[in-house]
Amino acid sequence: MLAQQLTNGLVLGSIYALASLGFTLIYGAARVVNFAYGEMLMLGAFVTLMVMNGLGLEFFLALPLAMAVMAAASVAIYLVIVRPVIRRTELQVLLVTTGLLYVLHDMAVTIWGTDPRQMDMGLDGVLEIGDVIVPYQRLVVVVTMLALVGGLYFMLYHLRVGKALRAVAQNRFGAQAIGLNVDRVVSFAFAVSGALACAAGALLGALYAVDPGMGSAPMLKSFVIVIFGGLGSVPGAIVGGLVIGLTETLTGSYISYGFKDVFTFLLMIGMLLLRPQGLLGARRS
Amino acid sequence: MRTLGVLLAILLIAVPPFMAEYHVYLLSLTLLWGIFALSMGLVLGFIGEINFGQAAFVAIAAYASSLLRLKLGFSFWSAAPVALALVVGLAALVGLITLRLRGPFFALVTLGFGEIVRLIITNWQDLTNGPLGLRPIAPPESLFGLRFDSKLGFYYLVFATLCVSLAALARLIRARTGRMMIAVREDEVLAGFVGIPVLRHKVIGLCFSALVAGLGGLLIGPFLTLLAPGQFDLFASVDMVVMVVVGGVGTLAGPLIGAVFLVFMPEALSFARELRPVMMGGLLIIVTIFLPGGVIGLLRHGLTRLSSAGRGRLAVLR
Repeated sequence: MLAQQLTNGLVLGSIYALASLGFTLIYGAARVVNFAYGEMLMLGAFVTLMVMNGLGLEFFLALPLAMAVMAAASVAIYLVIVRPVIRRTELQVLLVTTGLLYVLHDMAVTIWGTDPRQMDMGLDGVLEIGDVIVPYQRLVVVVTMLALVGGLYFMLYHLRVGKALRAVAQNRFGAQAIGLNVDRVVSFAFAVSGALACAAGALLGALYAVDPGMGSAPMLKSFVIVIFGGLGSVPGAIVGGLVIGLTETLTGSYISYGFKDVFTFLLMIGMLLLRPQGLLGARRS
Repeated sequence: MRTLGVLLAILLIAVPPFMAEYHVYLLSLTLLWGIFALSMGLVLGFIGEINFGQAAFVAIAAYASSLLRLKLGFSFWSAAPVALALVVGLAALVGLITLRLRGPFFALVTLGFGEIVRLIITNWQDLTNGPLGLRPIAPPESLFGLRFDSKLGFYYLVFATLCVSLAALARLIRARTGRMMIAVREDEVLAGFVGIPVLRHKVIGLCFSALVAGLGGLLIGPFLTLLAPGQFDLFASVDMVVMVVVGGVGTLAGPLIGAVFLVFMPEALSFARELRPVMMGGLLIIVTIFLPGGVIGLLRHGLTRLSSAGRGRLAVLR
C-alpha cells in the first residue's frame, strides 16, 4: 500500500515537474512571470488533439508537430504583448500576462466549448512489479519527463544557445556587454517554454481529459513548486515537483483528500518563511 | 475636479428614488464593484503589486459575517466588526510573509491563497454548505431608524460605504503614511535608505485595502441574498484589476471610472454578454501596453495638451 502510494506520488510529481519547467525557465531567463502558462498547457493539449484528428496521426507523432506550433505561438506572445512592456515596471508584465490568461481561457471556451474530450495515447495495459501497479500511460509520462529534462540540460550546458541563455539569466547587462543579442535569446527561451507547455499539457490531457479548464490546477501547482524549489531554477522545479507530488498523494490518502492542496500550500508557506529563495534557488542580492 | 465629485455625489443621492427598481439594482452593483476596484486600486497603485487574493478577502468577510448571523444569531451590525477584524488580520499575515521578499512572490502566493480559501469554503460543507452556498441572507437590520430592506434603502447603504471608503483612502494617501507608501512604491531601496520602514508601509497599505474589500464583502451577501464559492474565483479578482487599469492606476477616481465602464455600461447597453470576458482580458493587455495611464491618464493628457497649446500662444506673445 505504501509502496503503491509512493509510486503514485512520484508519477504525479513527474507530471507536475514537467508542467513547471517552462514556467521557471522563462522566469529565470527574462524575469517574466507568465500567468497564462497554465492556459498554454491547455492550448497545447487542444493543438495536439487537433493535429491528431486533422492529420490522422498517432499521439506520439502528433506531439512534436504540436510542440513546434506552440513554440511559435509562445514566441508570438513574447513579441506582441510581453516585449512592449518588459522594460517598463514589473507590474505591467504581470498585467499583460494576466490579461492573456483571461483571453486564452475564454477563447478556448468559445471555440471548443466546456465539454471534456478524450485523447487516446494508444497505450493500454499495466506494469506490475510485486504489489505495485503502474499503467503504461503513466510510465510514459515519467519517461517523457526524463527525456525532456535530459534534452533541456544538454541544451543549457552543451549548446551555444543554452550557454547564452544561462548568461542572460545570470546577468542581463553583462550578457549584452559581451555582445549577446538578449532579445533573441529571450525569444528562444519563450519558444522552449511553449514547447514544454505543449508536452505537459498533451500528457495531462491524455491521462485525464482535454477541456478549457484543465490549465488552472497545474498552474497553481507550478507556482507552489517553483516557490518551493526556487524561482527560476530548473533543478528546483524537478525536485519541487517530486516533493509536492509525494506530499499530495500521501496527505491525500492518509489524512484528507479534499484538503490535500491545503497541505502543499502550507509546505510552500513554510519554505517562504525559512528559506525564501527556495530549496535550490540562488540567493538574490 | 472636487466640484465635479460633489455634483456627482448629489446626483447619486437625489436621482435614484425616481429610477426603476432594475436601474437602482444596477447602480448598487456598479458601486459595489467600485468598492472592490477601489480596494484593488490601493494595492496596484500604491504598493505596486497585484493581489490575486482580493476576492478571497471579500469572500472571508462575506462568509464570516453571514455565518455569524445565520448560525450564532448576530445582527448584521455586530457581525461586521468581527468579520472585518478577521480579514485585516489575515491580510497582515499574508503581507508579512510575502511582502518582505523582492520578486513576484506576493502575486504568486496571493493567487494560491485565493484558491485555498475557495477550496476550504467548497469542502467545509458542514459549515458553509459547500458549492450549494448559504441562503437566504437577510438584508441588514434597521439602524437608527434607517431601513435597508428595500432596493433603494440598500442602495444608500452601498453608496455610504463607498463614500466612507473613498474619504478614508483619500485621507490615507495624503497623510504621512500614504506619502511614505508612495516613496516605497517609487524606489524601495531609496525609501529604505532614507529610513522609511518599507515592510511596515506595504503591510499597512495591504491592510487598508483588505478593510475596504471586507466592507464590500459585508454587503455582497445581503445584496445577492446568497453566497457560493463560485462567486469568488480568480476571475473576480482579475475583473477588479481590469477596472483599476482601465480607469487609471495610481489614482482613487480611476477604479470608480473603471467600474462604471465595465459594470454599468455593458449591463445597461446589454452588450454582447458572451464576448465580455474576452473583452476584459483584451482590454487589460491593450490598455497596459498603449495607455498605461488609463482613462484618467487620457483625460490628463488631453488637459495638458489643451493648456500647453494655450501656453504656446502666450509664449509667442512674450
